[in-house]
Amino acid sequence: MTFPLWLIPALPLAGFIVNGLLGKKLGKSFVTAVGTGSVGLATAVAFARILPFLSGDHAPVVERIASWISAGGFSADIALRLDPLSALMTSFVTFVGFLIHVYSVGYMRHDETEAGYARYFAYLNLFMFAMLTLVLAQNFLLLFVGWEGVGLCSYLLIGYYYDRQYAADAGKKAFIVNRIGDFGFLLGMFGLFSLFDSLDFDRVFPAAAADPAKYAPYLTVVCLCLFLGAVGKSAQVPLYVWLPDAMAGPTPVSALIHAATMVTAGVYMVARCNVLFRLSPEAMGVVAVIGGVTAIFAGIIAVAQNDIKKVLAYSTVSQLGYMFLACGVGAYVAGMFHVMTHAFFKACLFLGSGSVIHAMGGEQDMRKMGGLKSKLPVTYRTFLIATLAIAGIPPLAGFFSKDAILAGVFEHQRYVLWGIALFTAGLTAFYMFRLVSLTFEGSFRGTPEQEHHLHESPRSMTAPLVILAALSVIGGWIGLPKVLGENADRFGAFLSPILLPLASAADVAEHGLSGGTEWLLMGVSVAAAAAGLLLARSWYVKQQGRPAEAIAASFPAAYRLVADKFRVDELYDALVVRPFDWLARMLWKVVDVLIIDGVLNAAAFLVELVGDLLRFLQTGNVRNYALTLFLGLVALMLFVIGAF
Amino acid sequence: MARLVFDAAAALTILFAAVMVVHRHPVKSVLALVVSFFGLAVCYVMLSAPFIAAIQVIVYAGAILVLFLFVLMLLNVGEETREREPWPFQRIFSGVALVVFAGMLLGLLRAHGSAIATPRAALTGEIAPLARLLFSRYLLPFEALSVLLLAALVGAFVLAQRENRP
Amino acid sequence: MIGSIPLGDVLLASGALFTVGIAGALLRRSAIAIFLSIEVMMNAANLALIGYGSALGTREGQIVVFFVIAIAAAEASVGLAIFVAVFRHKETIDVNKINLLRW
Repeated sequence: MTFPLWLIPALPLAGFIVNGLLGKKLGKSFVTAVGTGSVGLATAVAFARILPFLSGDHAPVVERIASWISAGGFSADIALRLDPLSALMTSFVTFVGFLIHVYSVGYMRHDETEAGYARYFAYLNLFMFAMLTLVLAQNFLLLFVGWEGVGLCSYLLIGYYYDRQYAADAGKKAFIVNRIGDFGFLLGMFGLFSLFDSLDFDRVFPAAAADPAKYAPYLTVVCLCLFLGAVGKSAQVPLYVWLPDAMAGPTPVSALIHAATMVTAGVYMVARCNVLFRLSPEAMGVVAVIGGVTAIFAGIIAVAQNDIKKVLAYSTVSQLGYMFLACGVGAYVAGMFHVMTHAFFKACLFLGSGSVIHAMGGEQDMRKMGGLKSKLPVTYRTFLIATLAIAGIPPLAGFFSKDAILAGVFEHQRYVLWGIALFTAGLTAFYMFRLVSLTFEGSFRGTPEQEHHLHESPRSMTAPLVILAALSVIGGWIGLPKVLGENADRFGAFLSPILLPLASAADVAEHGLSGGTEWLLMGVSVAAAAAGLLLARSWYVKQQGRPAEAIAASFPAAYRLVADKFRVDELYDALVVRPFDWLARMLWKVVDVLIIDGVLNAAAFLVELVGDLLRFLQTGNVRNYALTLFLGLVALMLFVIGAF
Repeated sequence: MARLVFDAAAALTILFAAVMVVHRHPVKSVLALVVSFFGLAVCYVMLSAPFIAAIQVIVYAGAILVLFLFVLMLLNVGEETREREPWPFQRIFSGVALVVFAGMLLGLLRAHGSAIATPRAALTGEIAPLARLLFSRYLLPFEALSVLLLAALVGAFVLAQRENRP
Repeated sequence: MIGSIPLGDVLLASGALFTVGIAGALLRRSAIAIFLSIEVMMNAANLALIGYGSALGTREGQIVVFFVIAIAAAEASVGLAIFVAVFRHKETIDVNKINLLRW
């Protein structure tokens, strides 16, 4: 039987409701069963739909659930879409999500109360619901529902440890910065509505593709607005500042939301709207530049960080920059390829770091770690595999996706960006191997109590690590470059239908690289990665970090700047937060208290004053009243007679 | 000739009304008013309303003012004392307004006095037509009037009771 | 029976009488005096009514006056009853002193 598509997001939603309402009364085992089971079932249903889809003709399937808005000429339905892009996203969102749910059981079980454990899984399930709604939506409005939903869950989960001030602050920061992006997204949707009278994918994209000349002039603005949403959600410059702070949440949350799924929603959206972006070379240019700048900027910051999760956070920001760079130059398939492979190895890295933190009893500072490879063998090996993948060492997954991006950038003749991307690739390898070296190699630098506590994680935590590591190895093999065979790029072939042909030559022409150039590029990227790897090993394993310390000592100001993440947060605080604070205070003290309250109080005072004056008319004396009557009569007579 | 009589009677009426207003002793005021009402009755006769004149004497002068006298005697109301007004403005404003009022009336009369038409038919002083009118067209008000008198009777009775409740 | 009286005379008399009545109502302090002044005002109105009736050759004026006198009787009796009740309580007929409803 064919399962309906709506079952996929509905199962986690049911899990949220059950665990949210009943979880804390029914015990941790119940919560575990419902929380992981709902996602597991959703994964099963998803694959039950996707696998036949893979072997079929890949024609999009639209399942309408209900009518939502029908007002005048505009209608928006609750409808889900299964096409190559949404199938791709759904497959790894559900699968990686399921693995992370399983991991969370081991990670959260012992330290949390019944209520906290239930709350965690409820929010995690809610997140899955929102994310799946986002990727399966058939129209922008439903996508936005999911978009907001994941933002909300991000806030709830980052602030999971709500009794810690910095965690609560981080949650708020994430939500507020996201809001700025959402504002852009809304404006983009308004623009789309005014241009196309519809928000449905099957109306907007074909219409735009069929008549580029009519829509192209307006699409630059619309695309930039939509991209603003992506900048917020996917943590690009300048709205990336929430992601490093978001590490305050539990590590599985960082893995799921801030590595594998939520932050990739922006890339998904840009890929989904590729028709619109391809009609606006200016917008694509902006996307590419921001992607490239973010990649290198975050990479530089990552080099100087000492908290293991912060390194991974900036690494995520940097890799997301790669994805946008790819989309920005027109290599949408490469961008989505990297989304998928990144989900595998970044989730593996975050979960691995969670394993390390768990073993270290909560310590996250790498300077206090070292030599853990003997105490946590499984964690070490999976972490190493994932690091090789992110560094871009063949034949692991990261190499193929990163190489696809670099080739795409070079192919579209954006040589400056290519240079930046290549340098960042080397940088990535360097700081990731710095991390591995500091954490796992050498000798232990922590306290004796911590050393005593070191132990490998339970099976519920290591099993997902192994699976993700395996995927990090083989995940790239479905998208091999053309030089290895004409039909080697099965991934590209699968995704190509989402790139609707445009009616004019407005599309960025495919150039095509010669075989020789491709091999050369591959060699160069591997060389950069290898260079970074070897440099890191040399500095941190053989020489125990002394060269790095020497450089830091010789350029103390520069080092401080990088370690303080270029003080961007402080800049925003001075430029944005303080003025807003001042404005709010002004509106309160002056406008609200002085003016508005003042006016009201004055009005009341005036009424009282008039009353105080008028009451002297009430003399209680009948004669006075009679006089008043008579005076009135006289006045009336005068008026009537016209003496006035 | 008739006019002279009327004017004299009217003057008498007004004079004694003024006397009533001025006098301090209440009984003397009432008696002055009685005279004034008699003068008014003469005016009515001059205006072809002998029945009303009779009613005026019998009811107004003879019943209402006598009632006033009864009450005055009953309560042994004394002379009004000469006191200073707590608020002089009452007197001042009243005086001004009265002057203005009188002036307006005079002015009106002078300005439009010529607009009064001559009567179409002279009235006779017979009572029968009056009675006929009263009991045909004005029957309802007449009956209502009796109800009103009943209500007044009951009201007066209740209001004037002594408060002797056990 | 009698010759016609010019209406102007009648109205003048009525107006003067009315003014006297108002003066009394406003300027006297004794409750009885105010009552009597009100009666004077009513009679002034009666005079005007009779005058108009005679001038226009209709008996309507007399009818109305008839009713007015009856109503005046009713009103006087009730008013005097109130006067009696108040006087018993306050031992004074000075209206100025009956001022409980002041501010």
